[in-house]
Amino acid sequence: MTQPLKGKLALVTGSGRGIGRAIALKLASQGSDVIVNFFRHRDTAEQTAKDVQDIGVKAKVIRANVGDPAKIDEMFDVISNDFGYLDILINNAASGVGRPVMDVDIKAWDWTMNINARALLLCAQRAAKLMEGRGGKIVSISSLGSFLAWPTYAAVGVSKAALEALTRYLALELAPKGICVNAVAASAVLTDALKFYIKDQPESAGHQQATAAGRMVTPEDIASAVAFLCGEDAVMIRGQTIIVDGGTSMAPFIFGGGVNI
Amino acid sequence: MSIEEELKDIVVSIVHVDKSLLHREGTFKEINADSLDIVQILLNAEETYDIEIPDEDAEQFQNFGDFVDYVERCVAEKGKV
Repeated sequence: MTQPLKGKLALVTGSGRGIGRAIALKLASQGSDVIVNFFRHRDTAEQTAKDVQDIGVKAKVIRANVGDPAKIDEMFDVISNDFGYLDILINNAASGVGRPVMDVDIKAWDWTMNINARALLLCAQRAAKLMEGRGGKIVSISSLGSFLAWPTYAAVGVSKAALEALTRYLALELAPKGICVNAVAASAVLTDALKFYIKDQPESAGHQQATAAGRMVTPEDIASAVAFLCGEDAVMIRGQTIIVDGGTSMAPFIFGGGVNI
Repeated sequence: MSIEEELKDIVVSIVHVDKSLLHREGTFKEINADSLDIVQILLNAEETYDIEIPDEDAEQFQNFGDFVDYVERCVAEKGKV
């Protein structure tokens, strides 16, 4: 198997579980060493790191809440001291408060925006310095909620819209440093996060939705798109948000849309 | 400083309540902590002590004392490893 990312070093935020874990394994399978960031569940992060190592590349686990600027700095200080460089930043960690828009208070707004949008700003600023002189790739995970609307998804949807806008500005301003910046927007992907978000809704409420492709989007589908954007074949894709939804958003009245936390 | 005192400081930093109002029999509801405050308190405790507090365990806490006891147990268990 070819390893287009051999010798690269990737940081995948929130990669203990779900989409982040799938991305970590995909990048590892393409030869990249992986830094597994987590916040709450060390066991799953350690498992991801072990699985990455079993593929034959290096892995390191770093705990950090990306909603906290000081913790982001500490994480990058470790990366800087231990490696001194970074090739790929995957801004995947996400959270959010699911409330009707009239119930979104300042705390809920800040919590969601800080983890989903501000973290990209702060991580990209630090990552770009570690990519100095070698170029790099930055890919964020977004959601169809950045341009479609669902009940109780306002805070997360707006944070993803901000993330996509920031992706374009980063793509423009980091281009002279040889850094490509893009995003992947997913529809409903069956992860623990989605199960949590829809736990009070009936089985028929969208999470087992059909797509034009005939099945739900998997974490591996997202990981494949991310890996493509991390490769040299995607070098002329800049500041874009690639939609991976099995065709859901092209015909929302048929397929009903879906969310990715 | 004891774990109980450290946890009080964590709660105060998030809920902005007078520390003297926190006691073992008190509840988060009594100090007007909303669900997001509670999440932040749990996350802060997890990070401070490098422990995990599963949501299903946290839902069993009847009062601040239960929370303190749980964290103390986790820290003690960690010390044994």
